[in-house]
Amino acid sequence: MKSLTIRNLSKTYFDLYAGTHVTAVQDVSLEVGAGEFVSIVGPSGCGKSTILNMIAGFIPLTGGEILVGGKPVNGPGRDRGVVFQSFALFPWRTVLENVAFGPKMRGIGKAERDRIAHEYLALAKLTEAAERYPNELSGGMQQRVGVMRALANEPDVLLMDEPFASVDAQTRMTLQEELTRIWQAKRPTVIFITHDVAEAVFLADRVVALSKGRVLEEIAVDLPRPRSWDALHEDARFKSLTSQVLQLVRSA
Amino acid sequence: MTPLLKIWSAYVRLTARWPSIASIVPFIPLFAAWWIVTALEIFPRVFLPGPGEVWQSFVSLTWKGILPEYLQDSIVRLAVGAAWGIALGIPLGIVIGMSSRAHAALWPLLLFFQAIGDIAWLPILVIWFGYGLVTMTAVIVYTVIFPVVLNTVLGVRSIPVNMHRAALSLGASRARVLWEVVLPGALPNIVTGLRNGLGYGWRALIAAEIIVGTSGIGFLMFDARRAGSVVEILLGMIILGILWYIVDSWILAPIERATGQRWGLVTR
Repeated sequence: MKSLTIRNLSKTYFDLYAGTHVTAVQDVSLEVGAGEFVSIVGPSGCGKSTILNMIAGFIPLTGGEILVGGKPVNGPGRDRGVVFQSFALFPWRTVLENVAFGPKMRGIGKAERDRIAHEYLALAKLTEAAERYPNELSGGMQQRVGVMRALANEPDVLLMDEPFASVDAQTRMTLQEELTRIWQAKRPTVIFITHDVAEAVFLADRVVALSKGRVLEEIAVDLPRPRSWDALHEDARFKSLTSQVLQLVRSA
Repeated sequence: MTPLLKIWSAYVRLTARWPSIASIVPFIPLFAAWWIVTALEIFPRVFLPGPGEVWQSFVSLTWKGILPEYLQDSIVRLAVGAAWGIALGIPLGIVIGMSSRAHAALWPLLLFFQAIGDIAWLPILVIWFGYGLVTMTAVIVYTVIFPVVLNTVLGVRSIPVNMHRAALSLGASRARVLWEVVLPGALPNIVTGLRNGLGYGWRALIAAEIIVGTSGIGFLMFDARRAGSVVEILLGMIILGILWYIVDSWILAPIERATGQRWGLVTR
């Protein structure tokens, strides 16, 4: 894992229909330490997904710079693993083959990459599903595969774009707890994008509140780990942090 | 009502065990109607022969070796034409699907030439290449290529952008993305294109054989017309239907089941 540095990042689009320039991200700076878990939270259209897409190298930036381990980002690459809201699993590959995809691209032989994939599948309790196709799994299981596919490639930074937004509420809580457990086991550097304030606080070491393309404030989350909803649901510190972030996001 | 239901449930169980029975049963009423109409001699026998005569003609033409030879000629022509159509059509479809420049440059041409029906090329092809395999292959390639290209383009363009992004951020090169994402992602549409293309190609082949052929099922039918043999014309038509049914249910449908349906990209 490596650190991530964002300096004076900005993104302006030219809106062909409106005929004007639109600023999606404006002068965002952020320092994420190696092995740190940072949530970026904000309402729809605040520019959070645009930031993630620029870090991932999917879209070009129009100003500032992004450094991973001190090196500037240029296009997508295996140093930055991505977990998508839409899962984006390969439907023509089994669960095992999906998780082994990154190692395969690195030229790792079949036996070794299958061993790696099985190790990560076991971590997410997916061993039983190894030979199944993604369309045979529930949404929650598909996203477990999505997370493991990204982690099995041992990225320097893990980028998660509202990964649990399209699963049901109960499954989401389980996935959040599992993510904190797996994060503690593997300690990747994580950028987690969400519009759900409680989720942002529950998962992260630090929450970045975003509105209209600007950083409003960064809030350190000093809750003990391992975290579970049973313990935090009625926790006073958790509640006060959540309401603090909520007020920030809503007032902007 | 109960006896009928019993018969129906017996039929359902039977077809579950031997699915091929289900594909034969719909032809029984048709066959029976044909047999009754010809047995009653509603139309003169010369105009509408019965199943028995067609069967006799089948046996005698097979015995003489004419039918197997013609059948082989037709199938080889279709296979050669289809192979070229696929070999040209899939790469062309992928290029047009992936590159907006190629799309802008080639799409209008594609639509223009698609409008000129395959048979409309025969007069000029005969002048260029004469009455032979080249002319017939050209017609089939021309027929097969459009459905293959158009469906491949559709398939390539319907792959979600995040699928490309996922592969790239897992370390795949552009070439690997083509092989690992674009081809399998477009495959269900490519198979649909093949299905349409081969169907059209088969029809175009028969038409070409009727016009320029010296052998083949189409030629058999046209030759029979010259000799006034309705029996052989009917035989040719029945063979066309059966042969296509075999190609579709033994080759194309299994491919579809093993890919798009298995992956959940196509609903059953």
